[in-house]
Amino acid sequence: MMLPMMMVVWRLTPTDGSRLMVQIVFVVAAVMAVVGALGVIGSRNPVHAALFLLQTLFGVALLFLLQEAHFLAAVQFIVYAGAIAILFLFVIMLLGVDKTEDLEVEPIAHQRFLAPVLGVALASMLFSVFLVSSDILGGSPQFDSERTLDSGITDIERLGRVLFSDHAFAVEITAALLTIAVVGAVALTRSNKSKVKMTSDE
Amino acid sequence: MIDLLAFARPPIDWHAAAPELTLLACGALLTLVDIVWLERAKAVSATLASFSLLAAMVPVVTLAVDGTDRAMFGGAYTVDDFSLVMKAVFLLTAYVVVLLSTDYIAKGDFWESEYYQMLLSAVLGMLVMTSARDLVTIFIALELLSIPAYLMATWHKVDLRSNEAGLKYYLMGVFASAVLLYGMSLLYGVSGSTMLSDINATISNSQAEGLLAVVVLGLIFVVVGFGFKVSAFPFHMWAPDAYEGAPTPVTAFLSVASKAAGFVALLSLVFVGFWDRSDVYQPLLWLLSAASMTGGNLMALRQTNAVRMLAYSGVAQAGYMLAPLAVAGESSATADDALSSVVTYLAIYAAMNLGAFAVIIAVARRTSSAEIDSYKGLFRYAPVLTVAMTVFLMALAGIPPFGGWFAKFEIVLALLSPGTAWGVVLGGVVGLNSVIALYYYARIASYMWVEAPPDNVQSSSPIKVPASVSAALILTGLVTLAFGIVPQWVGHFTDVSLL
Amino acid sequence: MSELSASWYLAVSAALFAIGFTGLLVRRNPLIMFMCIELMLNAVNVAFVAFGAGLNDVGGQVAVFFVLVVAATEVVIGLALVVALSRFKTGATADDVSLLKG
Repeated sequence: MMLPMMMVVWRLTPTDGSRLMVQIVFVVAAVMAVVGALGVIGSRNPVHAALFLLQTLFGVALLFLLQEAHFLAAVQFIVYAGAIAILFLFVIMLLGVDKTEDLEVEPIAHQRFLAPVLGVALASMLFSVFLVSSDILGGSPQFDSERTLDSGITDIERLGRVLFSDHAFAVEITAALLTIAVVGAVALTRSNKSKVKMTSDE
Repeated sequence: MIDLLAFARPPIDWHAAAPELTLLACGALLTLVDIVWLERAKAVSATLASFSLLAAMVPVVTLAVDGTDRAMFGGAYTVDDFSLVMKAVFLLTAYVVVLLSTDYIAKGDFWESEYYQMLLSAVLGMLVMTSARDLVTIFIALELLSIPAYLMATWHKVDLRSNEAGLKYYLMGVFASAVLLYGMSLLYGVSGSTMLSDINATISNSQAEGLLAVVVLGLIFVVVGFGFKVSAFPFHMWAPDAYEGAPTPVTAFLSVASKAAGFVALLSLVFVGFWDRSDVYQPLLWLLSAASMTGGNLMALRQTNAVRMLAYSGVAQAGYMLAPLAVAGESSATADDALSSVVTYLAIYAAMNLGAFAVIIAVARRTSSAEIDSYKGLFRYAPVLTVAMTVFLMALAGIPPFGGWFAKFEIVLALLSPGTAWGVVLGGVVGLNSVIALYYYARIASYMWVEAPPDNVQSSSPIKVPASVSAALILTGLVTLAFGIVPQWVGHFTDVSLL
Repeated sequence: MSELSASWYLAVSAALFAIGFTGLLVRRNPLIMFMCIELMLNAVNVAFVAFGAGLNDVGGQVAVFFVLVVAATEVVIGLALVVALSRFKTGATADDVSLLKG
């Protein structure tokens, strides 16, 4: 179901017209994302939750495509679906925690009842804020031609130019971030220190 | 249409980036030494880490001597007085943490070299944070300092409590960064830029009036996100558990450096990014500050563990440091006072809190506990440590002539200077809380001096303090006393301005 | 740019954020709590891209790029923490994390 729909979006967005089609795809993507999110928090089995998460990630990728963020849509697939969701499933299987969780226990008094209320309150607050300011939102023009989205160069090149000029320092720092995450994760999950001592002495 | 081939590398001021680059290079060297020498690398890793921190200090000093403000990437990365002072504070704090860790980490069942790599990368994140003036750089710096911190809290792998501490800290931390990011996205949506100066320009002009709701929401989310990082009440839940479960040197690092990094980000956000929106951030920070002081102190009263007590006292101290920000928007003179007072407080807080943790680490070598009861009769067998602990506790309580009084004095002065009712009331809250806090600090002091040692503690011989911990005690003690006795000599170091 | 105004995407983003937030409070399994964090980060990404499209500015997409990198590292660290914790007991839930008082 996913692939044909994406092909449709891909072809439609650059051309004019077809407003209805975009709206339909938007509704499908939005429903996919939201239903998947509800599935994540509602399913007892972590494996099901991970699959629902995958559905949300696909929905979000579709939303990116609709807004012509093609590179991000691809990265969303590769990084999120390809790496993160798989990592989740891998750890669930590794730990053997694919058994159901008892949703009936109440750890903190009234938390089960309170949390959805808080969630609905948060959502309605955000909705109302966006509604109040919807007509002006995103109205300010951008003057730097390299940063505008309709400057005629491809999505990926525009992103690359900005990343390696305005944000070059942040990009370099993420290298340290990724390295340290790998070193730390390995150090944390290596099982027994004395065992490792023996192997390194050999 | 842009010329497809034309891409010029953005100009880079190598001198301005030198502290970070030095630290990055030294961290990479440490990793390489670890990979090549394996077990033999353990012997040198602590030394190498401390030299890395001192080496990074050199460009900070040369930049301070040079004295010109530098900016790169269109102002996203700025080196000015504020960032240099905070860089020095972070590097010295980390140096003391290495001194505290050396013996502790070598004796316990830890991965040693990796521990120092984590520490250095967290410090790198803090250095970047001091100079970051755009949302993306702030976010990356925050993650670079948080992710090693989550791991370091879990570093005592064989201890279940350390694992739980790490998981709790991680869950709260990533939740906070998600909230923070949502706030950032709202601010970006209103202003069309991630640069703090652009955000200030757009959220204050009249065109943004219709978007006021979004601005307010964005500000609240961002402040709440950093509220977790600085463990302000009511976003402090993780702190006592994470502090208690983590290895004690790591706790010292979290309670000082990690909190200070949150404050640095909050300061640059308030003074550069939200400055003209004082009608929004002042009430928000006023509430957060008053709640943190009162909540932190009241909960600290009930604690029976010294580390948990310091965690709640840290919540209260965060409240004191937030207080000047609640009046900062009155005028630019007030803003300068407020900024200087917070930076002064951060520097003094780093010294006195690290000192208190150094004593806790030294005492735990004998008692293997941080329970307050185990401090009873400490004077009988460890008189020097008792005197040191008393100095740090009295400094934290704000009693002259130890550093803390000058920090509190500056805070109250900044609160009273604009002469508004809100500022005066908050000054009163600070005064009231100092009295509450005195009670629980003095309780430990009286246990140490007056009571008899408990039976289960062997109290016939003095505690052997490792040389590195002694050095840390001397260093932090000197700074605490210097700020307390001769503030006019050292105070001008922290007299900075961001406007 | 886009055929739909930014508000529609922001509504989806708000819903995802609120659902993730609720899930974080309701669920006790650390793995599912991590997934809820991922939902919240995805909500942030949708908001950034929508704002960027509305503003005709690439800055939102740049921010999403960094959020993606950080989300990946956060998941790696979080799962490493769960694996480390699972050595002590299997089937860990956040309620079992109770040795510390808070």
